[in-house]
Formats: sequence, C-alpha cells, structure tokens
Amino acid sequence: MVISPLRLKVLRDLRRLWAQVLAIALVLAAGVATLILGNGAYSSLYETRARYYDDYRFADVFADVTRAPRALLGDIREIDNVLAAEARIVKLALLDMPAMAEPGTMFLVSLPEEGDRGLNLLHLRQGRLPDQQSTREVVVSEGFAAAHRLRPGAPLTVLMNGQRHNLLVTGIALSPEFIYALGPGEMMPDPRRFGIAWLPRPALEAAFDLDGAFSNVVLKLAPGASVDRTIEALDRLTAPYGGAGAVARKDQISHAFLDAELKQLSAMVKVLPPIFLLVAAMLVNITLSRLITLEREQIGLLKAIGYSSRAIAQHYVEFVLAIAALGIVIGISAGVWLGVGLAQLYARFFSFPFLIFTRDPQIYGLAAAVTVAAAVAGALLAVRVAVALPPAVAMSPPAPADYRARMGAFRRLFALRQTRVMVTRHLFRWPLRTASGTFGVAMAVAILVASLWSFGSINHMIDVTFTRAERHDALVAFGAPEPARALFAARQMPGVLAAEPFRAVAVRISHRALSRKLSIMGKPETPILSRVLAPDLRPMAMPEEGLILSEALADALDARPGDLVTVEFLEGTRRTVTLPVSGLSLGYVGLGAAMEITALNRAMGEGALISGVALQIDKTGQEAFYAAAKTTPKTGFVAVTALTVARFKETLAENITVMITVYVGLAAIIAVGVVYNFSRIALSEQGRELASLRVLGFTRGEVSGILFGELATVVLLAQPFGWLVGYVIAFGMVEAFSSDLYRVPFVIGPEVYVTASLVVCAAALASAWAIRGRINRLDMVEVLKTRE
Amino acid sequence: MTAMSETIFHTKDLTKVYRSGAQEVHALRGVDFQAVRGEFIVILGPSGSGKSTFLNIVGGLDTATAGEAWFEDHQLTALDERGLTQYRRDHVGFVFQFYNLVPSLTARENVALVTEIARRPMSPEDALALVSLTERRDHFPAQLSGGEQQRVAIARAIAKNPEVLLCDEPTGALDSATGIKVLEALTQVNRTIGATTLVITHNAAIREIADRVLRFADGRIVEETVNATKKSPAEVSW
Repeated sequence: MVISPLRLKVLRDLRRLWAQVLAIALVLAAGVATLILGNGAYSSLYETRARYYDDYRFADVFADVTRAPRALLGDIREIDNVLAAEARIVKLALLDMPAMAEPGTMFLVSLPEEGDRGLNLLHLRQGRLPDQQSTREVVVSEGFAAAHRLRPGAPLTVLMNGQRHNLLVTGIALSPEFIYALGPGEMMPDPRRFGIAWLPRPALEAAFDLDGAFSNVVLKLAPGASVDRTIEALDRLTAPYGGAGAVARKDQISHAFLDAELKQLSAMVKVLPPIFLLVAAMLVNITLSRLITLEREQIGLLKAIGYSSRAIAQHYVEFVLAIAALGIVIGISAGVWLGVGLAQLYARFFSFPFLIFTRDPQIYGLAAAVTVAAAVAGALLAVRVAVALPPAVAMSPPAPADYRARMGAFRRLFALRQTRVMVTRHLFRWPLRTASGTFGVAMAVAILVASLWSFGSINHMIDVTFTRAERHDALVAFGAPEPARALFAARQMPGVLAAEPFRAVAVRISHRALSRKLSIMGKPETPILSRVLAPDLRPMAMPEEGLILSEALADALDARPGDLVTVEFLEGTRRTVTLPVSGLSLGYVGLGAAMEITALNRAMGEGALISGVALQIDKTGQEAFYAAAKTTPKTGFVAVTALTVARFKETLAENITVMITVYVGLAAIIAVGVVYNFSRIALSEQGRELASLRVLGFTRGEVSGILFGELATVVLLAQPFGWLVGYVIAFGMVEAFSSDLYRVPFVIGPEVYVTASLVVCAAALASAWAIRGRINRLDMVEVLKTRE
Repeated sequence: MTAMSETIFHTKDLTKVYRSGAQEVHALRGVDFQAVRGEFIVILGPSGSGKSTFLNIVGGLDTATAGEAWFEDHQLTALDERGLTQYRRDHVGFVFQFYNLVPSLTARENVALVTEIARRPMSPEDALALVSLTERRDHFPAQLSGGEQQRVAIARAIAKNPEVLLCDEPTGALDSATGIKVLEALTQVNRTIGATTLVITHNAAIREIADRVLRFADGRIVEETVNATKKSPAEVSW
C-alpha cells in the first residue's frame, strides 16, 4: 500500500504535535463521554423502568382508604378504562430487631392474590412466596434483607397495631412499587430502618381488624385513558370509606424520585456535552490556525507544484478528523466505563431486578457525528484562510505582525514594564484567540460552579430544616388520630423532656381552577419543636384562623396572602371550608400548609385530636425511649432526627467524592486542554522573541514570566466570567428541578467560587509547568542566525 | 592610554567540538585571542570557519569544549547557565543579522526593555539619539525600514552601556547605503561609550573601518591585521 505524501504528513504532524493533539482529543472525549453517559444512562434507566413496570404490572393509580368493604372493588372495576383493580391492605408496623435499638418501620403490603394477573407483582430473589393461608410467613424487600442479613428461614419480629408478631421470612423480593424505598419522615432511603414486607391477606386482616375489608386499592388503566377522570370516579367511590384521594403514578413516591433522576440526566446531556464540544471546536480552530500560519510557505509550495486548494483543505481536515477519531475512541471507552459505574450507583439507590444498559448504536453514532461536526467546524474557519492564499503570496513570509495599540493612559496608570506591555499588546493583537482562551477556561470554572454549588445548598437545606424548623429529636406519628390527652401520655414516656402535638390532615386545597392534595399540619400557636419558617428564616406564629402556605404551594395554587382558598378535608367529617391565606412559609420538601391546631380541629368540626407528637429527648434516656415508643400501641412510626440527618449526610458523603472527582476531572480536562494549547501556540509565536530576550540577558524565569503572564491574564480574566456562567447554569438547574416533590434552595457560597477557581488555576499551573522545559530549551544561537 | 591598552578579553586554546551521533565537528581548534578595551575588531572568514562559534562563546551564549575564555577577571568557561545570563545582562550588547526586535514594542520600548534590567543604563532616548532615530522612537518595528530596525537593535544593545558589543553580520540583510548607516552607528557608539566591538562579517570591505582584523579558517585564527589608519564607513565601498 502506498501512502500519499500528504497523508504521511498528517501522520507525522500527529506524532510531532502529539501533546496538543491529545489535549484536544481529551476535551472532545469528555464531550463524547458525557453524551454517551448521559444519553446511555437516561435510556438505560428509562427502559429498565419501563420494562420492569410492564413485566411486573405496575399500577397507574393508587388510593388509600380507612376501611372499605371488599364489595366496593366490584364498583371500582366498573369505572371506565380500568383494566384491573386490586384491593390491598397496606399498613405500617414497627420493627423489633434484637440487634437494632433505634426504631425502624416496616411497610406491610398484602400479597397480590391473583397470581400473574395481579398488580405490582413481586420479583422473587430468593426463597418462595408465603403460603396464602399462612399468618406467619412473609417476604421481605431485598435491601432490608441485605441490611439485616436475613435469608429465607430467618425469624422476623414486628409490632402490628401494638402487638408483637413473630414472622418467618420465606423469601426475598423486589417490587416495581418500591424501586426507591423511602421511609415515612425520611429524606433518604435507609434499608436498615425501613423495609417492605409482603404478607398473605389473612394475616393482615387479623392483625389490623380488616376482615373482608381493604385499606388500599391500585388500578391498572387502559392505555391512553384519562387518569384524572379515573381518579375523580375512584375518589367518589372511596370517599365514604375514608378515601384520602387517589394519586396518579406520576405522584407515586418511588416513581417521582426516578423521574427526578431522569430529569437531572437529561439536563446534564443538555449542558455538559455542548460545552466540551464548543471548547474543542475552538481549540481545533486556534491550533490549526497556528499550524497553517507556520506551514504557509509549504502550502504555497504545494499549490505551486499543482495541488488543488481542495486537496490542501482536505489534508488539514484529515488532520482534524484524526484528532476527532482519537477523541471519539477515548470518549466512547470512558463513556461506557463510566456508564457501568453509574449503573452500579443506580443499583445501590434503586432496586431493580435487572438493569438494561443500552448499547444503542444510535447513541454512539450521534456522539461520533456531533464530535466530528464540532471538530470540522472548528477546522474549516482556519483552513479557509490557507486555501484562499495565492501560491506566490503564500510562499513569501507573512508581513510582520503590526502592532499599533498605544494604550498610553493605561500604561501610565499602571506604570507597566516593557515585558508587561508585550503581554498586553500580544493579547490585544489576537483578540479572538484571547477571547477563545478566556472562554475555554471560563467554561472549566463554570462546570465546577454549576456542580459544586449543590452540596452547599443541600447543607443549607439540612441546616435550615433540622436546626431551625424541625428542632425535635424524635417524632412519633400515631396510627390514627388520638384525643389530646395522648400528649400527656407522651410526656410521661421515659427520656422525654418536652412534647409538642401536631395534627396532620389530608386535604385538597383549591384556588380558582388550581388544586393540590397534601396534608395540613396543625401546630400550637407558638411552636417550639416543629416550627414553620418565613422565607427570611424567622419562625412564624400560627395565625388564629388562616392558613400558612409554603411558597411552593402558593406558586402551585397562584395564591397570595389575603386570598381565600377552598379546603376540602379528605378525612373525618370530610367538610369543605373556605380559609384565608395568612402568610407564606419556606419549604424545601413537598408542598406544605400549616394552621393553628385548634383552628384546624374547629374547621374540621372535630374535637381536640392530635396525629402525633414532636419530642425533645434526653440523650441518656434515648434507649429507654426507643423501647417505650416501640411498644406503645398508638405508635404508627417513629422518626429520629439524628438518624435521618446522619443517613442523609452519609449518603451524600458516599456520592460527593465520586461526583466531585468526576466534575473536577471534567473541568481539569478543559482547563488543561485550553491552557496547554494556548501556551504552546503563544510559545510557538513568541519563541523567537523570548530567545532573543535570553540573549539580551533575561533570565529563564523572566522569560517564562512573559509567557506565563499572558496565560495568567487569560486564566484570571476567565474567573469572573466562569463564575457568572456557572451561576446562570446553576440557577437554570434550580428552576428546572423545582417540583412539587422538592425545591432546592439556591445558595452559592463564596467557597464554591473559590474551589472552582483553585481547581482551574491548579490545572492551568500544571499545564504551564509542562511547557516550562520548552522555554528553558529555547535555542539562543539559532535565533541569531535565522529569519522567522 | 593605559585604559585603552587594558586587556578585556583573552582566550587560551579555546576549543569547541559539536557531536552529532558518531560524527564530531571541530568548530574551534584552539583559539588564542586578546582584545583591549575600546578596540573595534572585524572578524572575517568563510561559512563554517568557526567565527560565529567563537563570538557565541565569548558572548556567553555557548560553552567551550576545552580551553579558557576570560572577560576581565571572569572566567567565562567556568560559569554556569545562571552566571552566563548575568554576564550577558551586565556586560554584553548583541546586534543580530535579523535585528530580533520585539514586534509588539515601539523603538523606544525595545530599548527600554533592556534599560529596565541593566545596572547602569543610559536613557532609551539617549541611546536612540546615538543612532539618529529620535524621530522614529514611537514607531513599531513593522513601521520601520530594515536599516532603521537594525539601528534600533544597536541602540538596544548599547543602552546598557556594555563593555562589549558583539555583532554577527549586522549588515548582512541590508543594502549598502543602509549598511553604511548602520556601520556609522556602530563606530559612533564604539567611540562614544568605548565598548570593545567585535563585528563578524562576510564583507571584506568592512575590514577597513576596524582597528584590527582577524581572519578565521577551519576553526583557527589564520591571519591578524592591524590597520594603521581606520577609514570611516562612508569611505568604504562595496
């Protein structure tokens, strides 16, 4: 095979400029990798979930009732578009594990009864399903089993309705209903303190006195059916039985959290790859422009001996395509490797029976095409100049760079030394390149600002929630509302220093045509342990009459203080009342509304009832309290603030290292790619000047200082721009991720900017260090003898 | 005339061998040389005769393989890279064939580049006046003719008040009329600041303006001529 001379030149140029080629290829690779990772993870997660839902018949509508007769199920099945309906018993129980002192909750679900025709089918991992007639046999969720090392055959003790039940684990399973298993009152899944147990219906009927009745119903709808209309019909049927309003799949907790993850992934795909590809295109452009300038005479010669402009353009495009190919290969490998890592991360957070990691050739094809397009676009601009030159002009050396900038006032102001003047004029002489370099470095800063801010925000959220608002040590929610005297009983519990009652009532709040389902929290007039905070973080007193809405709810309802909203109570008397909005409060998780507790009971037309108590606990009495809380029949679940926060921080800490490593790596690739190429080009242009200065007696340090001064200027100019872009991206993310589920506070502390800048400056320093050797080796003798 | 006859440079058996792979090129084969303060020396010789290598070693740009080179009481052949940089910075002015001005600095600023780091410089304006370029001081190199650029380079070389002025083919890239102007600037500077001046050239006609002429061949000084009467550059024709 004969390789054409021009192609040989491509290969030799690649070898000669390998470091610059690699730096550009890495930036391209980062674009490819994030594109593949983002798209790949998105479709993996999406398809895995879709297949899981499909195969295991995940329901479309979910509704809780207090107690409905099984006969109602027939009516429910008659609702239009309902393909299947299953009546279940769903209840909370308390864990009684010998090795675990702190309280834990078990979510009990009756087993699907109709075999494969049921809904929310189980994927059995180990063992077998319980015998349908057994009152002891149970299947537990895989995460919980793993956290407690439970295997089929292991005993399990739970407190149902205040009574101890000794169960026997027969199997370990997963369910599409609990891909993301979040315990009540928790902020992160904690498989140790929260598990799911599936029991045969008779066992639950007996334990909760629900003979011939159900407490939860799930529906599967015909494709394309109106979910809202079905919910309306279902709510009408369940209302007499304490129906608290059905929810659609989109509001089901596990599903909604997966959706949030998908949303983040698609945001990542929209933000990161374009940044990398843009920076890479710019690097290709400035590097190729310089190469073409240096090869100007060769281009003239090639044209003179008869090569067409097209052949020459093709030659440079081939050079760039080779870089793109390298970037694509590295990017795809990295993308696949990171994809496997991300899949493992998903496997930790989300319980899937399988994970489809998409190897869709379309994703790779798209990544490759976009990368080639970015690289070639960067090249074309540079190549155009090369092919436009007539051969005679190209063969003569270019006219000396013409500097005319005076900057007299600027110089006098700063009393610049000549070397500084050189730096400044050189930067101004090539404004586009200076701007490109600044832009590139700024993007590295922006990526870090846009990713690192979230940790500070989360900490802020935790701090506000648990040190300013929810200041209790533990929260006990009763299984059902209790008379107010339960508060006194709670105060008598061992270890309890103070107790504060709350009432939680399921409601639908409407304003104009907008409505939302949520719980109103009734609190004492001046709550101490569980406070409501105003947007400026000041604690709020509960108004005598009106409601306090969280900002998110007020936005969702388009309601402002002074407006009247309609409140439909979904339990108890099921009254509908009109209440004024008295104020707005801060809230990060879910939608919130609060009222003074007696006003709430009055509005409901009920006596003094409470749903639970917020407690302050003496540290030394903690163990005794745990034991007592478990055995109190009234207890629905117990949330311990310290454990919730610890779990949250622990989960965050597990991810923070990985996330920071990935983002710092990505930012460093950009910073190194830009700074290294920029400095190589600056050195190539000014090498002769710098060598001349060495002859004149300038030291290596002084000469390096000129080049590094130029780099430093670019890097420093980039910082504020990078902060700004990062801020804008972060702000966009907050807006995009805000949902009824949670709102992330937008807090960017100075440490975010400082960290981002330090990382980028460190990467820039490392790149500068890499070319220091070249500066030291400048050939002084050579410059005396040759014309540029 | 004690000052005039004071030896400023001397070399003893100065040898330079370039090795490239298995090949050895003897650029200098034991050069013995002396120069006194204020002397104007022209060095002639064909390409590859070793004259540039010699100039580079006494200018502190290159190191010798053997032998000694002394500037006043500094043994140049014993200095390290840092020492050589300091030597160039404090004592030597260079003029190159291709001027090597910094394109982003004006004539005045190119001179100031050196005066800023020199120990006892003259003002850039004075240096430019010595080469008759006061008018053109605010022009960038791209706006100056070749002769003007070379005169800026001379002004830059002498602005530090160097003891030595080393010029490698200073008129090599210039036509004769411009070349004469540059040589006039060099002789003028040699007279005014008393710097010992070594000028390498291919142009034998220039010999007549020197105090002394050395001819290099094959890495050695093969001929030394002392001019009893110097001509002024204007009288020289080539």
